[in-house]
Amino acid sequence: MNLKAILKTATITELSAGLKNKNFSSVELTTAYLERAKALNDKTNAFITIDEEFALKSAEKADELINKGKQKPLTGIPLSVKDNICTENIKTTCASKMLEDFTPFYDATAITRLKKQGAVIIGKTNMDEFAMGSSSGTSYFGGVKNPYDLTRVSGGSSGGSAAAVSASMCVAALGSDTGGSVRQPAAFCGITGLKPTYGAVSRYGLIAFASSFDQIGTMAKTAEDCGILLNAIAVKDEFDATCHTAPFKNCLKDMEKGVEKLKIGLPKEFFGDDISGDVKSAVFNAAKTFEKMGAEIVEVSLPDLKYAVAAYYLISSAEAASNLSRYDGIKYGHRSKTGKSYEDIIKNSRSEGFGDEVKRRIMLGNYALSSGYYEAYYNRAVKIRQKLKAELDDIFKACDFILTPTAPTTAYKIGSFDKNPVKMYSADICTVTANIAGLPAISTTCGYDKKGLPIGMSLMGKAFSEATLIRAASTFEKVFERREAQL
Amino acid sequence: MKYQTVIGLEIHAELLTHSKVFCSCSAEFGGEENIRVCPRCSGMPGSLPLFNRGAAELAVKAGLALNCKINNFSAFDRKNYFYPDLPKAYQITQFNHPICSDGYVDIGTKKIRINRIHIEEDAGKLIHDEKRKISLADYNRCGIPLIEIVTEPDIRSAEEAKAFTAEVALALKYAGVCDAKMEQGSLRCDVNISIMPESSKVFGTRTEIKNLNSLRSIGRAIEYEFSRQKKLLESGERVIQQTLHWNDATGVTTALRSKEEAHDYRYFPEPDIPPMFITDEEINTISKAMPEMPSARKARYLSLGLSDADASLLIADKALSDFFDLAVKSYQNPKSVASMIIVEFLRHINDSGFSVEEIALPPADLAQLCKMADEGTVSRSAAKDILKQMLKTLEDPMEIAKKENMLMSNDTSAVEKTADEILAANPKAVEEYRGGSAKVFGFLMGQMCRTLGKSANPAIIKKILEEKLNS
Repeated sequence: MNLKAILKTATITELSAGLKNKNFSSVELTTAYLERAKALNDKTNAFITIDEEFALKSAEKADELINKGKQKPLTGIPLSVKDNICTENIKTTCASKMLEDFTPFYDATAITRLKKQGAVIIGKTNMDEFAMGSSSGTSYFGGVKNPYDLTRVSGGSSGGSAAAVSASMCVAALGSDTGGSVRQPAAFCGITGLKPTYGAVSRYGLIAFASSFDQIGTMAKTAEDCGILLNAIAVKDEFDATCHTAPFKNCLKDMEKGVEKLKIGLPKEFFGDDISGDVKSAVFNAAKTFEKMGAEIVEVSLPDLKYAVAAYYLISSAEAASNLSRYDGIKYGHRSKTGKSYEDIIKNSRSEGFGDEVKRRIMLGNYALSSGYYEAYYNRAVKIRQKLKAELDDIFKACDFILTPTAPTTAYKIGSFDKNPVKMYSADICTVTANIAGLPAISTTCGYDKKGLPIGMSLMGKAFSEATLIRAASTFEKVFERREAQL
Repeated sequence: MKYQTVIGLEIHAELLTHSKVFCSCSAEFGGEENIRVCPRCSGMPGSLPLFNRGAAELAVKAGLALNCKINNFSAFDRKNYFYPDLPKAYQITQFNHPICSDGYVDIGTKKIRINRIHIEEDAGKLIHDEKRKISLADYNRCGIPLIEIVTEPDIRSAEEAKAFTAEVALALKYAGVCDAKMEQGSLRCDVNISIMPESSKVFGTRTEIKNLNSLRSIGRAIEYEFSRQKKLLESGERVIQQTLHWNDATGVTTALRSKEEAHDYRYFPEPDIPPMFITDEEINTISKAMPEMPSARKARYLSLGLSDADASLLIADKALSDFFDLAVKSYQNPKSVASMIIVEFLRHINDSGFSVEEIALPPADLAQLCKMADEGTVSRSAAKDILKQMLKTLEDPMEIAKKENMLMSNDTSAVEKTADEILAANPKAVEEYRGGSAKVFGFLMGQMCRTLGKSANPAIIKKILEEKLNS
């Protein structure tokens, strides 16, 4: 069996069947992925760490489980994990100089769940530093390149995970999504990315960026694969007080039901002038496809969308400023060699350890929280957040989910926004509302622009409606002709 | 000009939970550095706080003990500041929605109002090694649950501040909320103090004295700060709003930081912990399970026939009062037990320098001794000696009495024989007694007791001696 050929289009379901039928072992499969990952990492820079030894050991264990007839959906399946999710004994850097040498002695709950199924983690993927960014260009280890065009960004912040799946360096991956960080790179790299409902997946072990937005998400080439991963990691977890006690039993039920009779909302505010023509027409075409398959399209409105990006950046930066204060060079992480007093050591350690984008957010966040400005910034942002939630509640009375672009454009050239961060922030317009309201959203490819770059569309629904979103995305994927990246 | 002092207190009390407030590490005191530490309480990346509901229950008890309103809704906030003893660089506390509010403590002369009680986590400890010029951090204390009790500025003197603190400490001990060991830091006090002309209604600029850990230092720091502020005002200077440190050795306050350098704590709602709801039902359940508080206990003691002074003395030390209650359980003569405890037991305790808890004497043993003395099994003076021995060896009082030959003998023949001998040996005294001098009886009693030893029953000696002399 030619594993190398299989990898390029393989899904979890197919590989799992291959393992079950003993067409190949997990060790063989893992070896093949490791070879491809190592060979393509110079080109894509998708991985910060590839841990061959650990991967092969896990694969051996998985093969034992399979031989004993104890195979689960992810047993022996090679996955990768974003480098802000703690992995015991494997470096977890957040793509920052600050945590360049940080090795946790504990697993994130999501990792514990993957290991319980006998999944194989082959490495840790590159990202924007501390998940702050939409291009993966703020990584201390250099940016991630888009497998469809190596001169373009992968999107971010989970760009490494997106590129790794897109370039078939692993079959699926975990990312994290604070304002679009799973969905937007999924769109740029032509794969599927799922951001679950806030509280569906435990955040324990996910290194915090903005605690009230952060959510671990799943990335794969199909919506179904995203669902398989989500089923594995979305469980009640007493280690995270914000984790829901009973998220859902199975987000892959009734898959054969299709989209018939589903009401799909098209919120007009998501199709404004800032959205490129190629993207707009691809999403409208997808809406037509849904209609043909039996869904009903309704127009809906989210009038306060224009405030969403500002509210998101204020609250998320405030939380980030607080969350990142613990990196003082005293307990772990980068410690400056200069400075004699405590104040000097933390100032120097933080100045040296954090990159520009992280510093920008820390300053913005502290400003928004500081006395005299709290009411005008942080508190107003919180009010907008409540208003947007209410508006979305109304929308989901009228439809099952809304269909929007995932990003205003396709992947742009590396370095395009380096001098204009605010312009890059505004490009999060399509994704941040899901995080603001804690709602689930899935992005899947719905077309390609003139240059052949993937275009993503997003389906966002009410809390814990993952099953509907996955079913609808999967139904679309079955009639859509996906093009693999040529690497 | 005459000035009056205006004082508000912030009392931090460690809650008696088994584990820390946001993780499952043990909340014990002392021991080797950094052994009760986990990813959560040391703020490791990716860790999240988990609220220990037991801390909320104790905070509710504190609120009930201090006459507060218990809030059905409360929530946590982050207080952000950098310090090496604070590993997350923020303290989880309750800023906007405390668990209790609007209480008071009656200190006898007046009521001191309590503004709020909120839950928060303690920080670690820094150990400065002057020789090696390094500072070390110990995180064992990180995440120990605290309540902060904040008063209104109702206190007007050092005496009132001390009385309030003592009352709070006692109430928390009785409620089982805090062991209130100020010397170990389980109860600490910050003093906010300003002065103003006696006729004035406008408060002066206040200073805050941090971390006072004894009633004595609270009193001394207030007296010092009052005269320092008075001197400033009298010489035409202004009091600067600042945070002060009290040095118990030198007896002066020194500035830690002024208002200009004051922290901007950038409080905001803690996103990792959902708000806390406590139902009226839950509050009722806790209220019903509240232990007896000092005032109720005092009333009970008075009804047992104890004097006001004795009752007050007993309740002032919860351990002593508990000891008394247990002793009375096994010998139902409260007055006799109280007298033994207050007159004899307490004297030994004070001499020994140990606390009641540290002396492992079983209350039932002391009760037995009381009973033995009351029933004449041993003499009162023998009982004193037996107690002394019990405190040393923790032996049973009956064992000691037997071993030391202190059991009172009811054998009259030995007494009669001795009486005959003593009277024969002291004809002059006998003559004087019969001549009307009652004074000499005491001398003859003394002779008898000495000869017969501690086992002799003084009542019997007295009776026989009188009979012989009067015959």
